[in-house]
Amino acid sequence: MDLTNEDVTDILALLDSLPYDELDLQTSRFRLVLRRTPDGWTQSVQTRSAPDALDVSPAGVAPGAPPGSPADTDGADKTEVAAEVPSEETEAGTGGADAGAELVAVRAPLPGTFYRAPRPGAAPFVEVGSRVGPDTVVGIVETMKLMNSVAAGVAGTVAEICLGNAEFAAHGATLLRIRTD
Amino acid sequence: MLIIRRLLIANRGEIAVRVIRTCQRLGIETVLAVSEPDADSVPARLADRTIRIGAGGLADTYLSVEAVVGAAIAAGADAIHPGYGFLAENPRLARACEAAGIVFIGPSAEVLEAAGDKLAARAHAVAAGLPVLPGGLVGAGGLADAGALAGRIGYPVLVKAAGGGGGRGLRAVRNAADLEHAVAVASAEAQAAFGDPRVYLERYVSPGRHVEVQLLGDGQNVIHLGDRDCSVQRRYQKLIEEAPAPLLGETLRVSMRVAAVALGLQLKYQGLGTVEFLVDTQRAAFYFLELNARIQVEHPVTEAVTGLDLVAEQIAIAEGRGLRLSQASVSFCGHAIECRINAEDPAAGFRPSPGTVTGVVFPAGPGIRVDTHIQAGSAVPPQYDSLLAKLVVTGADRVQALARLRGALARCQVAGVATTLPVLSRLVDDEEMTTGGVDTGWLERRLGRWLEPGPGLEPALGPALEPGLEPGLEPALGPALGRGEAGG
Amino acid sequence: MQLVDVSLRDGNQSLWSATGLRTEHILQIAPVLNRVGFRALDFCSSTAMGVAVRTHREDPWQRIRLTRAAMPDTALQFIGTGFRFISWERAHPDVMRLVYQRLVAAGISRFVVLDPTHDMSAVLATARIIRQAGGTEIIAALTYTISAVHDDAFYAGIAGQAAASRDIDRAYIKDPAGLLTPERARTLIPAVRARLAGKPLELHAHCTIGLSPLVYLAAPGLGVEVLQVACGALADGSSLPDAERTVANLREMGHTVTVDDRLLAKAARYFDRLAAAESLPSGRPRPYDAAFTRHQLAGGVLTTLRRQLAEIGLEDRFGAVIEEVTQVRAELGYPIMVTPFPQMVMGQALSNVLSGARYSVVPDQVIRYVLGSFGKPTAAVEPWVLDRIMDRPRARELAAEPPPPSVAELRRRLPRGITDEELLLRFGMPGEEVDAMLAAAPAGRHYHPEVQPVLRLLRELGSRPPARRLVVDKPGFRLELRGRGSGARS
Repeated sequence: MDLTNEDVTDILALLDSLPYDELDLQTSRFRLVLRRTPDGWTQSVQTRSAPDALDVSPAGVAPGAPPGSPADTDGADKTEVAAEVPSEETEAGTGGADAGAELVAVRAPLPGTFYRAPRPGAAPFVEVGSRVGPDTVVGIVETMKLMNSVAAGVAGTVAEICLGNAEFAAHGATLLRIRTD
Repeated sequence: MLIIRRLLIANRGEIAVRVIRTCQRLGIETVLAVSEPDADSVPARLADRTIRIGAGGLADTYLSVEAVVGAAIAAGADAIHPGYGFLAENPRLARACEAAGIVFIGPSAEVLEAAGDKLAARAHAVAAGLPVLPGGLVGAGGLADAGALAGRIGYPVLVKAAGGGGGRGLRAVRNAADLEHAVAVASAEAQAAFGDPRVYLERYVSPGRHVEVQLLGDGQNVIHLGDRDCSVQRRYQKLIEEAPAPLLGETLRVSMRVAAVALGLQLKYQGLGTVEFLVDTQRAAFYFLELNARIQVEHPVTEAVTGLDLVAEQIAIAEGRGLRLSQASVSFCGHAIECRINAEDPAAGFRPSPGTVTGVVFPAGPGIRVDTHIQAGSAVPPQYDSLLAKLVVTGADRVQALARLRGALARCQVAGVATTLPVLSRLVDDEEMTTGGVDTGWLERRLGRWLEPGPGLEPALGPALEPGLEPGLEPALGPALGRGEAGG
Repeated sequence: MQLVDVSLRDGNQSLWSATGLRTEHILQIAPVLNRVGFRALDFCSSTAMGVAVRTHREDPWQRIRLTRAAMPDTALQFIGTGFRFISWERAHPDVMRLVYQRLVAAGISRFVVLDPTHDMSAVLATARIIRQAGGTEIIAALTYTISAVHDDAFYAGIAGQAAASRDIDRAYIKDPAGLLTPERARTLIPAVRARLAGKPLELHAHCTIGLSPLVYLAAPGLGVEVLQVACGALADGSSLPDAERTVANLREMGHTVTVDDRLLAKAARYFDRLAAAESLPSGRPRPYDAAFTRHQLAGGVLTTLRRQLAEIGLEDRFGAVIEEVTQVRAELGYPIMVTPFPQMVMGQALSNVLSGARYSVVPDQVIRYVLGSFGKPTAAVEPWVLDRIMDRPRARELAAEPPPPSVAELRRRLPRGITDEELLLRFGMPGEEVDAMLAAAPAGRHYHPEVQPVLRLLRELGSRPPARRLVVDKPGFRLELRGRGSGARS
């Protein structure tokens, strides 16, 4: 469950009378910073968790998902709907590189622990901004002591790293996003 | 009765976050419909799952009944929450849901039609015994009709679109010479916004206050959840709302609440709805304006003074439960004020200021609630509305609420886009605001004075924040709203 | 197959001494529990209401109301044991009538009638009172134990008596000590069902020695319609079988169980996180313990005993007390080891061990028990024990005690103008405890397990000298505090 307004109220109720001016709480899902000012407290909340996108979409299979993916169950419904909706203009370049390029999710092939580097202490495979090709290894998912390397699958630039090192990745969880060329 | 297990939220921004929060508490799985620009938004991160409804424009995404219902079916959702604006009051969506066996969180298509057609709504109000402003439809006779009608009503009159609200197709006319032009323009705007060129005339009451009553019904029983004052508006867009409406005589307040419930009963209203009234302060009279058949932006002030969760109540009604509150069980405590913080540049005529938020700080403390969808790094795309956050402050009474609000506004900081924060700060400091009961023309008169060219313009608006993006950007934000959104 | 969840009452009582859960813990998860699809929740008992007032200073009636408001689709159950409300004193039927009326008004619709001595006339009298008070579903408890007297015919007999009443809707076999074996179940359950005249049978068996999950597997085939389970940290151990595991096993055997798996998991993980945040123990599957079939002390009783002995530095006498329990139970005529009897038997066993001279110190409850205040003991009390107990001034006092006060009498004795709910609390508890509850702030309504460590730390910091910078760094959690003037950015 995510942090609610009541939780912040509870924290402040205790914090207010303590001789501290700043509280910085970080979990894998959120970051909360509370600061005391002469007029009262301020809050800054950052929701960190990556969105969990369904592999189905009303206009057809989402980009980046392999064909015949397990979530692709409503085939009949989708084709019906697809007939009515204009097909998703995924590759359309409607303007500059930003507007037209596609953001592709790289997903965990199996549930397990996500590692960003080949060995503890080694440099990560990629960082934000790294250029990748379809076969570039971008991470490892360790499942039951077996290491599964994860390839980018597309050519492009790493736009976002969605999961931290040694964090648990559910099956299909988004590990990184790549901006395709 | 059914239990909703998976809800598709067919909206974005702060209302998407709002609905997700209640669903998390209730254990309802949320699937958020997202367009491409919203795929990594804060609500997308909070929802259990997201589902893409396309990369196209509004018409193909949030305004597309097919895309939304298709998403709900593909996601296996049992219900759709339409939020406000977009398709929230669209009978086509309600019907498509029914056809697909999906629960639509809102009233029936028939009630949506009755409320959406402003003239039909007027007729229902009259049937329920509510006072309405003298007025009538401009009939087939066109201008001659209009002239005669206006003559009967008496100038000034307001020309209004019959097919929708939210400030579109609205023109004030002070004398007969301006009538022809006003009717033509309003009709064209109405056609563009709602696909329906019909206009009607109503007496223009000024000064007036916009006071609305919140309703909750289950189709048989209807109760009210108090009133709200939304008179602080700029071009029919609300900036500040409060509950309860201040400086309203008890008799008037009670009459309005009774009238609102009567209309709800007349329509066998199911779900959340708001009856908007125009209050003629000089005559202590009130007139029915319109019925909004959706949850409104300003619902938090009602939640603050009643202790209720309105989204949870909506969901309960949609599940087929009878009203679980009686009028007697609803109690009111304290005073709440909401400020809408928009990505608009007040120093540039409130030009929309899309871009990327680079930093966000909001106040925290007793009586302070912030409903927002932005955080550092959030995109504020140009094609959607400019609402960044709602600051809702509660106090034991209005004086305390205002005092808290001033301190709270002072602690708001949004960097990366221009916002209306400086204007809000000035507004809540204003003497007339402190007294309360300002009319709907008050804000524009104030702004007129503050924005008069002259020395000291910049400091008068508060510290300058980083301007938004490219100059020459079309003011695209306002009209991109769906039917009925802008007013609430 | 349907399920009844006991986490909030029996789970809390078995594993957390009935004191672990507060109103806010319950209200937070109530909307989710409502949607799982349980047939009912074992929610409340006289003991639980007393704990709410005494330990947490929370209004137990308000807790029921708020929970009911958050759980419109799942029935809430109250379990009542005999003519008593919170205190050990016997209550007047009028008072019990008022108790049940107030419970129904607050939102309880399902009632279990449990008579510790299986005095069926008392059970049916209580059931009548509950029905008249508005109880929708009334369940007769058949409490399982092992003794010469409690054979299949015995249980079939009382089942028949219960089923004959219009005020009893169904029955359940309650196994508080987890003694029922699959073998015994195969004869007991059919014998009971044969006399229930079609009324449904539920099963509620604790996992104390690891048997009940196996009994649960056999139960559907024997005609049991509802299994009672608990969730997450509140399951297993001396509590009831784990809900998720039970559902998985039932489905594995081809049975249909209609619950929302996602929400069941959500509820279970919530209790897990709550247990971690509050440093409460999680139930764990238990090994089979043959000695247990002798002393038969149910769940929470053992936990409480260990705690009480530890508090007075006598935890090493735990084994001796358990041995004495077996002896005392036999001497007192084999009371069924369900509240209040385990406490009573153990109280006497503890006295015997600590005082060194058996039955030299006798608690009031034991005196009342032999006087027959709890109903006629199932078997006779050992004559020499009876003599020792009765031959004391206190026994004569209690024997001469006036009958319990009626409601009218209570209204005369207690301050005027108080609500019936307050009156009933004042009847069952010391006035100071009720005063303290009424004076306390209203109970919280939300609870976030992950925020608790932060709140706890902040509370502790109040008594420590201020630091300039404080960092707590754990996997998945990092908290930093900066003191005044430490350069905190404003």
